[in-house]
Amino acid sequence: MNSSTENAPECTSCELTDDLNLLRGIDFFARIPLDGLKILAYLCTRETYKPGDILFSQGDDDGQAFYLITGKAKLSYKNENGQQVVRDVEKGDFLGRLVLLGSMPRLFTLTAETETTCLVLERAKFLRTFEQFPGLTDKVFQAIIESIVGWDRRFLSSFKEGCNTCCDMVGISLI
Amino acid sequence: MPSKERPAEKPIVKRSLYSWVFGFNTKLQILLLVVILFTVFARVVPLEMQKRIVNSAIKLRKIDLLLLYCGFFLAAVTAAGILKYVINIIETYIAQRTITAMRKSLYEHIITLPLSFFRNTQPGTVVNALSVELNIPGNFVGMAIAAPVTNILTLLAFAGYLIWLNLWLALLSLSMYPLIVFLVPMLQKRVNRANKERVDMAREFSGRVAESISGIHEVQANGAYPIENNKFGIIVDKLRQIRLVWSLYRFGIKTLNNYMTSLGPFIVFILGGYLSIKGRLELGALVAFLSAQEKLYNPWKELIEFYQVYQDGMVNYNRTMEFFNKEPDHQLEPVGRKPFELEGNIEVSNLRFLTDSGLELLGGINLSLKAGEHLAVVGFSGSGKSTLAQCIGQLYAYSSGNILIDDHEVAQLTKRDMARNLGFVSQSPLIFTGSIEENLLYSAAAANWNIESQKAERLPTLDDIIAVLQQTGIFVDVLRFGLNTVLSAKEYTALIKTLVQVRANFQLEFGKALADYVEFYDETKYLYHSNIADNLILGAARRVDFEQHMLCENEYFLNFLKEADLNRPLLGLGAHLSRQTVDILGDIAPDPVLFAQSPIAPEELDTFKDIVKRLNTLKLHQLDENDQTHLLDLALRFVPGKHKMAGLPVMLSGLILESRAMFRERISIDDPDAFAFYDINQYIHSQSILNNIFFGTTTTANPLAQEKINQSIIQLLIEEDILEAIVKIGMQFQVGSKGDKLSGGQRQKLAIARAFLKQPKLLIMDEATSALDNKSQTRIQNLLTHRYKGKSTLVAVVHRLDTIKTFDKIAVMKAGKIGEMGTYDDLIAQKGMLYELVYGKRA
Repeated sequence: MNSSTENAPECTSCELTDDLNLLRGIDFFARIPLDGLKILAYLCTRETYKPGDILFSQGDDDGQAFYLITGKAKLSYKNENGQQVVRDVEKGDFLGRLVLLGSMPRLFTLTAETETTCLVLERAKFLRTFEQFPGLTDKVFQAIIESIVGWDRRFLSSFKEGCNTCCDMVGISLI
Repeated sequence: MPSKERPAEKPIVKRSLYSWVFGFNTKLQILLLVVILFTVFARVVPLEMQKRIVNSAIKLRKIDLLLLYCGFFLAAVTAAGILKYVINIIETYIAQRTITAMRKSLYEHIITLPLSFFRNTQPGTVVNALSVELNIPGNFVGMAIAAPVTNILTLLAFAGYLIWLNLWLALLSLSMYPLIVFLVPMLQKRVNRANKERVDMAREFSGRVAESISGIHEVQANGAYPIENNKFGIIVDKLRQIRLVWSLYRFGIKTLNNYMTSLGPFIVFILGGYLSIKGRLELGALVAFLSAQEKLYNPWKELIEFYQVYQDGMVNYNRTMEFFNKEPDHQLEPVGRKPFELEGNIEVSNLRFLTDSGLELLGGINLSLKAGEHLAVVGFSGSGKSTLAQCIGQLYAYSSGNILIDDHEVAQLTKRDMARNLGFVSQSPLIFTGSIEENLLYSAAAANWNIESQKAERLPTLDDIIAVLQQTGIFVDVLRFGLNTVLSAKEYTALIKTLVQVRANFQLEFGKALADYVEFYDETKYLYHSNIADNLILGAARRVDFEQHMLCENEYFLNFLKEADLNRPLLGLGAHLSRQTVDILGDIAPDPVLFAQSPIAPEELDTFKDIVKRLNTLKLHQLDENDQTHLLDLALRFVPGKHKMAGLPVMLSGLILESRAMFRERISIDDPDAFAFYDINQYIHSQSILNNIFFGTTTTANPLAQEKINQSIIQLLIEEDILEAIVKIGMQFQVGSKGDKLSGGQRQKLAIARAFLKQPKLLIMDEATSALDNKSQTRIQNLLTHRYKGKSTLVAVVHRLDTIKTFDKIAVMKAGKIGEMGTYDDLIAQKGMLYELVYGKRA
């Protein structure tokens, strides 16, 4: 027997294995073959934020994807009328499908509300891994398409007819 | 006669190869001639002695004469040898001196050539021209006097001597040479044709290789190895073909020459032999004749070789110079006046710019800026924004129209005028190999360069530099570089003392707040962000044999590991680490980003792959010593907090903690000077400044944590008054080739700081802040508005429209023309092109 993960004594690489399982649970990563996913799991870091810590802030291009392992954070944005709260991001949420693919300024700010532990993956690391597996492109694009269509579908089924501004905004899957 | 290091003013590409022989090296060449005359004399003497030895000394049986003539013979041979050596030295000296001067002048010329020239010229081509192609022409210049004069004189001397010995025999045996003189140039013509092709091909070859290597990321990203190999193969094969033809002709000349000259002795034997038998030629004369005849061969061979070098040198030189025979667009230095000090009024009228292929990039631009006004140029990509900026900055020569700065036409200004008054920040600025400081001073030094003294006249002070570092926001980065430096003990004794004192204050003021991000050195705890070797020793080696990379070969340390029962557990950990790393990273390209968290460096990967393969069939103890050393070394490097592929078994961390105390106890008796153990009151010379202040290591590279750490450290350093000292150390940070150790944002900030340090009257920024985050961009924008408005004229090509409200004027460009120009509010109210750009088409 030479499989290192099954045969090894007590806890030899538990964080890596845990993170690998977390990534497998995220639709965006689920289709990626195991050897690619292992690299991503190895490249992720776990970061802990205290209440009030800012994970990312509006206008910046920090290039980090976040998966909340524990805790709760507040998503907000700033306009002429001040800071507007959007919603809470909670344990199990993953933010970063687009951020991993290319540069974009943040339209929102994410602030930790309780002590929050995240799995963080940087764009540069993701893209370099991506380069190593030419076959990944299709799978990642498909995952992105499905998320956008899913978003649009949810929006369609929940908005009230007669809301004029909503009609203007529906159809993000048409971009 | 210009015989100084700087040759005549005529550009090198217009100089003939001959001008290097005489004008440049006259004195040396004359010296050479004198030496040659002596040499030729020294070469003929032995022949006469030879004859006299046979005819007089031996025939008359006179020992004293024999000794005398032999003495002369020996003296002449020795002198000829020494003189030949002297000739070689002078020749080599002339050749190297010439090659160096040619390289300098050609480089000086090439870097002034217009940007358009470099669009079609690969860097490799330039490298090839400067390094390889000038060697043969230089060698020719070295030989140009010595080789023909020595050899022709020697030949004449020998021929004269032969004729004096026997007219007819001489004439007959020399009859081959005219024939050679007739045949060789015919062959040489073909050699030259092949050589011309070779020079062109070699140039293309270097260009292609340089292109592929500089685009290696594209090659690897596309996995285009076969395509690249194919392209390379084709050109190498062609080069081989040409070189083969070239060499064959060259050898043809050599062979022909050898054959023809060896016919000489044949004639002497058959004819001289006959005459001698008939008693019409003395035996001594025949011996002298034969050896003189033989001596003809060497000078003749050298002459032919020289002829070949001459021809090849001509071809290489002319071919190379023709290629670079272009004029720079602008004069470099003003003549008869000082550089202008401009105010920065800009007047552009009817400006047009056409590419070489006739494409119109700018079609009639008119704009006017008073000194100190700020203009933002916006528009879609391809609308000519950058071209406009580059025309104003004198980087491109415009086709027609005018650009006036303070009534001076930009096309007529010298490069020095521009450097003095203009700060140019390009879209993707290049940072050069060297320190941050050197890069910061690059522009200011160039603008104030004194050609006579070869130094910059006045440079910004440290205060100026620090101010600009802060304004551009690269201050924190430079401070970081400083903090990450491992100081050498000798240079910084005073600072080191202060740093130890700072440590206590840090613990007091920030210890608690930063406890989450720092793992403090603690004798009683296992340190998860230090490696196993550090955990075992917790000290800095005072001797080389105890330094970390040597530990695996250190007898004392290895024995200790065995006694502490650590050897096998560590080997096991090493095996596990290598299995895991090879499993995860075994099949991917050696990308530094992907290997940053790996204990195995990309270049070691193959070694460990082999070990892992062996581990499949062998047990740990069956591995050979070399493999075991590798595994042990890997285990000692393991940092559990960083190298995620494995965890540290609890049992092992406990064992290591136990051994730490044991090791200290042992070595303080056996070898008390081997280590300086970590001590809160002592500076740790093997650790960075930051780790010394912390008396610990940071546990995360997370930007938020870094920011918090930076804030506390800056506050602390200000309080202790050593901030400047650390920044100064940080400015010595080596940025790597093309600045590759800096991030894109850092490079851009450095380029902006480089331009600001010059405090130019005219600033051109071509999307200069595109790689910066929001905060840095806003900082630069504020700086421009508050510090530079009214003082320096600014032309900024801008792609992010949220930053343009504060500009005095905005020009919206479309298809090479200015569509509209005015203040932000006016243009928005007009609801024209700017409105469309800002709010989109739909509204």
